[in-house]
Amino acid sequence: MAKKLTRRELMQHSVAAGGLFAAGSLMPVSPALANQASQDGAEITQTDRSPAVLDHDKVVQPRRELPVLKKTGVLVVGGGPAGTAAAFSAKRMGVDVTLVERYGYLGGLATGGLVLGIFPLYDRNNKQVIFGFTEEMMKKLDVMKYGIIDRHKAPVYPTFDAEAMKYILADMTLSSGITAFLDCWGVDAIVDGRGAVRGAVFESKSGRQAILADIVIDCSGDGDIYAAAGAAFEKVKHNIGLISRIGNIEEVDMAPGRGSEGLPREHTFVGKIGTGRPSMGRVSDFNGHAGNSTPAPHVNWLNMAGPVGDALDVENLTELELRHRLGTWNNVEKLQKKPGNEKVYLTETAPQLGVRLSRLLDGAKKLTYAEIQSGAKFKDVIGYSGAYALAPEFQIPYGCLVPSKLENLLAAGRCISAEFKVADITRLIPVCWATGQAAGLAAALCIQDNVKPRNVSVAKLQKLLHEQGAYLG
Amino acid sequence: MTLLRRVPRRLIQLTCFIGAIVLVWPLLPWTIAPRLFQQISPFVALSSDIARRSIDAGAILALAVAIIASFKKRWFCLYLCPTGFLLENTSHVGLRKSRWWGKVPPIGRYVAILTIVGSIAGYPVLMWMDPLCIFSSPFAINKATNPYSAVLVSLGLGVLVGATFLFGMLWCVRICPLSGFQDMLYISRKALWTRLAGRAAKRKFAESAGSGTSGAQLVNISGASASNAAGSRAKTSPDRGSKTLRESRRLFFAGAGGAMLALLARRVGAARYRKGNTLLRPPGAVPEDRFAGLCIRCNNCVHACPSKIIQPDTGREGGLAGFGAPLIRFDRDYQYCLETCNECTQVCPTGALTALPLEQKNKYVIGEALVDNNLCLLALGKKECDACELACPYDAIKIRWDEDQYIAYPGIDLNKCTGCGACQVVCPVTPVKAIRVWTLKSA
Ligand SMILES: Cc1cc2nc3c(=O)[nH]c(=O)nc-3n(C[C@H](O)[C@H](O)[C@H](O)COP(=O)(O)OP(=O)(O)OC[C@H]3O[C@@H](n4cnc5c(N)ncnc54)[C@H](O)[C@@H]3O)c2cc1C
Ligand code: SF4
Ligand code: SF4
Repeated sequence: MAKKLTRRELMQHSVAAGGLFAAGSLMPVSPALANQASQDGAEITQTDRSPAVLDHDKVVQPRRELPVLKKTGVLVVGGGPAGTAAAFSAKRMGVDVTLVERYGYLGGLATGGLVLGIFPLYDRNNKQVIFGFTEEMMKKLDVMKYGIIDRHKAPVYPTFDAEAMKYILADMTLSSGITAFLDCWGVDAIVDGRGAVRGAVFESKSGRQAILADIVIDCSGDGDIYAAAGAAFEKVKHNIGLISRIGNIEEVDMAPGRGSEGLPREHTFVGKIGTGRPSMGRVSDFNGHAGNSTPAPHVNWLNMAGPVGDALDVENLTELELRHRLGTWNNVEKLQKKPGNEKVYLTETAPQLGVRLSRLLDGAKKLTYAEIQSGAKFKDVIGYSGAYALAPEFQIPYGCLVPSKLENLLAAGRCISAEFKVADITRLIPVCWATGQAAGLAAALCIQDNVKPRNVSVAKLQKLLHEQGAYLG
Repeated sequence: MTLLRRVPRRLIQLTCFIGAIVLVWPLLPWTIAPRLFQQISPFVALSSDIARRSIDAGAILALAVAIIASFKKRWFCLYLCPTGFLLENTSHVGLRKSRWWGKVPPIGRYVAILTIVGSIAGYPVLMWMDPLCIFSSPFAINKATNPYSAVLVSLGLGVLVGATFLFGMLWCVRICPLSGFQDMLYISRKALWTRLAGRAAKRKFAESAGSGTSGAQLVNISGASASNAAGSRAKTSPDRGSKTLRESRRLFFAGAGGAMLALLARRVGAARYRKGNTLLRPPGAVPEDRFAGLCIRCNNCVHACPSKIIQPDTGREGGLAGFGAPLIRFDRDYQYCLETCNECTQVCPTGALTALPLEQKNKYVIGEALVDNNLCLLALGKKECDACELACPYDAIKIRWDEDQYIAYPGIDLNKCTGCGACQVVCPVTPVKAIRVWTLKSA
């Protein structure tokens, strides 16, 4: 398998490649960029640069060779719940794994998005139906002080602490032997002459680099890589919010059940339990309490649905990033006006915008709402989702992770192949962990058995999942 | 009256009894079987058809029964009625075997008249006293989701069996409106014949009406005792006309009472609905002012509902008039009015629930869903919840974003909402759901 290149080797590669290209390029290298002062004052001539050029009002990206940062077995793009599950599960199979994440920490929405609730974990009888990587993570959180609350209290589901989660993921990354690149954006796919995926291109402070891989798992949540590679997908829009944490709120956590009342905390009452007929369209102003308890004492996480938005439109995202922060501050001010709430303060807004759904893969199998409602069973089941709304607990088939045509790529997490109403459930954290784990193991099998993802032996995959503790029915 | 003559009647009765069970269970793969069973009753068919101002196809059976009954006194009671069969056998083991009801007036006839006149006013007041619906009601017990419902569905038959055990055949002979109705058919037919056949025959009618007897036990009890009473009075009082006059006067008062009660019940029902918040009827229900009258408490709908969301009213919602009438209750997890089902509307024998094809049933508005944003987990930023939106089979719910308050909440399109309750039964907030179906306010 590919070995990690040292920084020096990399530089050499890049310089050589860049020089070659610069020589062959039609455009002259910009003199402004060519000479830059280094820290100690020595001049560095950047012969490896070939910037975009303005050519008759058009911006043209010159053709250039990219330095190969790494050659790897399994390349996981996106370090959220799905990506981390995929990477660590694959690594356990002894294959070489590289994980790339655009932000500076792992966990995706589950940490940076401050999404702290783990659901749906249970079937309608309050029996847990997602184990494997999910259970492993929760067990790690169990032993951390203020790591997780409401374990084994179905139907109330567990809530964890974002920093505890970041700690666990950092620790696993350092000890598991995977290669991780943080602060590194996946910007393109690499495909070969037959259209099969061979890796991905990344942008970071180190510039634009390539990672070659036998199998790529797209865990970007938005399907960035499969879209770039030309896979078919459905573009959807969902509410985009921004979660925050608020402090000093416990005395106004109206949810009884803390301790003796016997009612689960998620069940909320305000004053007298409403028997009156609600008037249409009157929106609550949090009525003096907001959000839900977290393991951190006196701190609630405050969810926000936000307006429906286009998560693939940078202007839309920017606007929401800005306005959501104002809106959150204003809402906390409103809260402070309620008696008993004067000392409530905003601890933080999530660093990461709350994007729910954007792209849904067109997979070998598209899981339909009718199927999950009727409790459809699949031969290639790779995991379960707990019950939610009218859907009882349901199986997720392997086909949802495999693109309908594209080779060498798997998808996991919120961008898998499912109808919108199904994806609205499969996007949730424990389900992402489940699909991530399955994708990671399937990718490892591809390498070990030298097969394409769509030809993976389902029996072997299920056996591996079983061995890693996953629940398949 | 020989043993030989009695045995075949017993056999016919038994056969009909079993047949009745087969129909109402229903052991036939035929949705409308229970409905046909109750529609055999000419009392029910006539009252409900008048009240609805339309004729149901089932009325053909009832007409046949009516014609036979007008020739053969209490023919239905003697041979077909499963309730009669049950009560007759109960009376055999009962405590009171004597025929003590001689002085009891024929209440059943007044009930029948009261109801039929009431139905002209749109509200068949005491139609629920029909013995066939009383018979079939307990079959719904397997759909009772609480002890009250279990008691309510078995109450009617329980009371009849108990009373018969204690007091003998009083119900069949004197109170049952179906037997009273048959009597009136029989008498009217005779009267008609008499008028056609002239004075001589008329005299004969007076006798037979007063002293009709039959070999069969039921008629024996009923007819004989009635005629004995009448006969003895006839002897003491030479004025036979005054007896028939008294009878007519009573019938007249019963009728007038029926009309008044009907109008009163309609006003009360309508007012209750206007005031009501949680008075929800099964799909296809006629307007509330008439519903409690047209509904005969047969509990066919309760029995038919696969979701078990139809339960008889303890009177809390519908008051005295609505006692035992079906209500929709969304109090069990995941159980709502299915978009794939219209069973309840198909089994109603009186048209209190209009028989709606599935597509129309799915347009029938049971009530309206409203959200209490002070309870909703979404509006309070408590959880990632859109369960109601996801569950709604009619796409009536969309999570709305309020830009001013910077809060989201489930927005309901009342033009699409049918009040099916799917949202209510999946809402995770307990014990009071954040989203609930309320009585429709047309305002
Ligand atoms: C407001 C909100 C509330 C929610 N509440 C809950 C809840 O209570 N319970 C629950 O279980 N779920 C909840 N969810 C859903 C759940 O948090 C996410 O859907 C889940 O985390 C998705 O996991 P994922 O790994 O597929 O994607 P993500 O968590 O989005 O992770 C994707 C990762 O990939 C990275 N990435 C994206 N693009 C690139 C790229 N081009 N290159 C490199 N890296 C990239 C991202 O930075 C991110 O780290 C909520 C979601 C939102 C938005
Ligand atoms: S009651 Fe609820 S689920 Fe049913 S139609 Fe209305 S909004 Fe939809
Ligand atoms: S299901 Fe209940 S808590 Fe959830 S969004 Fe709907 S009304 Fe709110």
